[in-house]
Amino acid sequence: MNTVEIHIKRRPSPDAPQHWEVFEIPYRPNLNVISCLMEIRKNPVTKSGQQTTPPSWDMNCLEQVCGICTMVINGRVRQSCSALVDNLDKPIKLEPMTKFPNIRDLIVDRSQMFDHLKRVHAWIELDGTHDLGPGPRMDQEDVMERYAYSRCMTCGCCLEACPQYDEDHYIGPQAIAQVRLFNMHPSGAMDREERLQGIMGDDGITNCGNAQNCVKVCPMNIPLTKAIYEENRETVLYGLLGWLKK
Amino acid sequence: MAIRLSRTFILRKLHQLTGIMPLGIFLLEHFYTNSKALTGPADFNNAVRDLQSIPYILFVEIGGIFIPLIYHAVYGLVITVEARPNNLYYPYARNWFYTIQRVTGIILFFFITFHVLNFRFGLIPGLNTMSVAHHVDQSFDIVAREFKMVPIFIVYVIGITATVWHLANGIWLFLVDWGITIGERAQRLTGYACIAFGLFLLAVGINAAIAFIHPGGLLGKFM
Ligand code: HEM
Ligand code: SF4
Ligand code: SF4
Ligand code: FES
Repeated sequence: MNTVEIHIKRRPSPDAPQHWEVFEIPYRPNLNVISCLMEIRKNPVTKSGQQTTPPSWDMNCLEQVCGICTMVINGRVRQSCSALVDNLDKPIKLEPMTKFPNIRDLIVDRSQMFDHLKRVHAWIELDGTHDLGPGPRMDQEDVMERYAYSRCMTCGCCLEACPQYDEDHYIGPQAIAQVRLFNMHPSGAMDREERLQGIMGDDGITNCGNAQNCVKVCPMNIPLTKAIYEENRETVLYGLLGWLKK
Repeated sequence: MAIRLSRTFILRKLHQLTGIMPLGIFLLEHFYTNSKALTGPADFNNAVRDLQSIPYILFVEIGGIFIPLIYHAVYGLVITVEARPNNLYYPYARNWFYTIQRVTGIILFFFITFHVLNFRFGLIPGLNTMSVAHHVDQSFDIVAREFKMVPIFIVYVIGITATVWHLANGIWLFLVDWGITIGERAQRLTGYACIAFGLFLLAVGINAAIAFIHPGGLLGKFM
């Protein structure tokens, strides 16, 4: 019978060390990595016949729009729901992302990204008890560009592949692209300076080393390097030349 | 809102700026002076003499070269230590350039230390003991004597190549880091321009070195 061998890097609890476990499941056409994990979960026995605990992982949409199932597959970060077994080298090696705290097995804690979004004011102030009137009109080209940035699903691929992102030393391309998204909006621009300050700190935009892995691995094809370089221009003008206006 | 600048923001911007100015500009001037060797020892020695007669030369050397160089080099090593290269799993061209920028930086650190002690001060034991800058009528001969030793010449060829790579890619980095180049097409086009400029600089730099051991450089007979 045709089988698929799967190696999983496991961690029983947040402070336990990691170890590899090898599984083997029957091959079916159109398997993806999540369906392999579900198969293993039904009967968690390793290839060598040892009983073990069912592996844990995160999943939700199963169509590469939520980003929660992201993991490192054969050394490269990507969504496991859209990773088709037929297209992968065997044996398949599954690891949790390495740049975020690993909670258990393939699950990581991505709250760093949420904290970064809060720091850069990644929303538009719209609340009011009175009628605010119609929103401002926007250039169609800006709308298209903003649409690209708005597709970010906070999956973390860009941060995992970034050689400068480690232990939260760098705010990273994901948050910088959101600064671009909201600074381009006529109402969002009212908080422009707060966002720029948010990416000019010690872990700010200047930590980018231009390796450009982020833009290569982003599953939503977000033009991340363009966003970073736009914000480089904004921060240079604001941070270095801004005093000339005062 | 008051503009607040973090320490890292200022240090990084200074690092990027010193790479271009003064260091990049100085490298162009350096290759220009070296190329004087193409037309013979007398022209090269005169060029060194002219440089030595720059007013306030001590301040120019210390403030314009030594301090920016030491700052860029030391902070460059700090940046290098922070890197987590991952080229094997993400083998893209820019990712390789990222790693090579750091590797050439380390090479440059050792090469420039050697080069300055060797020629500016004549302090490498067993090699030249005279400062090129302070023996202007023998400058060419001092360099030629060192370059006739094959291992030394190879060290200089490696050093020149690493420097040219570091500057050519560094210009591209500066353009994006200061938000001059932004879009994807502009990134590609400035990339080609930097490659062309790098190849030109490499030819000029290596040919100037050859001029010290082979009159007139590579094209000696034709010029
Ligand atoms: C002496 C040892 C040196 C070391 C250790 C070093 C290290 C580095 C490093 C690590 C970077 C990348 C910075 C980043 O990506 O954020 C860099 C950038 C750069 N270096 Fe150097 N470097 C050295 C010497 C030089 C010299 C001699 C020059 C000029 C010829 C130079 C010109 C540049 C330029 C133009 C950049 C681009 C700045 C930017 O990122 O915008 N470097 N250097
Ligand atoms: S371009 Fe910057 S943000 Fe993107 S992967 Fe490289 S270092 Fe990280
Ligand atoms: S920018 Fe792309 S890779 Fe990064 S978190 Fe958003 S969707 Fe994921
Ligand atoms: S489960 Fe939503 S992206 Fe994979």
